[in-house]
Amino acid sequence: MSDAPTELGELTITRIFDAPPDVVFACMTTPEHLAQFWGPIGTTTPLDRITVEPRLGGRFETVMVIDATGDEIPVNGVFIEFDPPRTYSFTEAGTEGGVVTKITFNDLGDGRTETVTLQTNVPPMLMSPEAQAGLETMFVKLDDHLASL
Amino acid sequence: MANDPMSLTFAALADPTRRSVLVRLAEGEATVNELAEPFDISLQAVSRHLKVLEAAGLISRGRDAQFRPCHLEPAPLEAVTDWIAMNRKVWTERFDQLDEHLKRISHDNLGERKQ
Repeated sequence: MSDAPTELGELTITRIFDAPPDVVFACMTTPEHLAQFWGPIGTTTPLDRITVEPRLGGRFETVMVIDATGDEIPVNGVFIEFDPPRTYSFTEAGTEGGVVTKITFNDLGDGRTETVTLQTNVPPMLMSPEAQAGLETMFVKLDDHLASL
Repeated sequence: MANDPMSLTFAALADPTRRSVLVRLAEGEATVNELAEPFDISLQAVSRHLKVLEAAGLISRGRDAQFRPCHLEPAPLEAVTDWIAMNRKVWTERFDQLDEHLKRISHDNLGERKQ
């Protein structure tokens, strides 16, 4: 796994999977597959709580249940891009900033797939280069300040 | 924009003047006059920015009626960066599990082909 340099307020995760793009894409968009891996460690994603409408404007909804407490973490997404097996994007309207997650599936030509997951989780006004630069400066200074406390 | 704490933080951070104010406060507390000094805007405008920052919990203000010095309150900023770190963890674990899942289904397919 390698992570590209990430702008403040953005999340980029690059992974290589030992399967071709159509298989990886299907895993990421089929409830029977998603139920096997979608919830991170310590959570379960029940099959009957997953809704995938594989088309532009379709719903992409999952509920992760925290094993220890039974608490539920819903993800209520809507596809704003659906182009199998190359890419898809979904927004989470209920999450602040209208988080957008875009996953690109790059065919490495040797049976493997590189996925690039880009999550932008701040309002667009914050994503301009000058805004990024401003935030960067602020966080550097803030780090220094916190270190000096 | 919704009124949850993280929206207030993002909204407050969206303005370059307010970010500059926070950068200045990262160096230590300051009065409105001191904060207004580098900007070509009125004290009233600076006060409005400070109200937004205060509503977002990014600054607090002293009780001294005359000067009311401003302090940086970093907790909401940490919440924003924590949120990003948490999401990174979720996606990393998710993909680790997808990797395992792909290995399993690949073995299953090989099994089927042999039969």
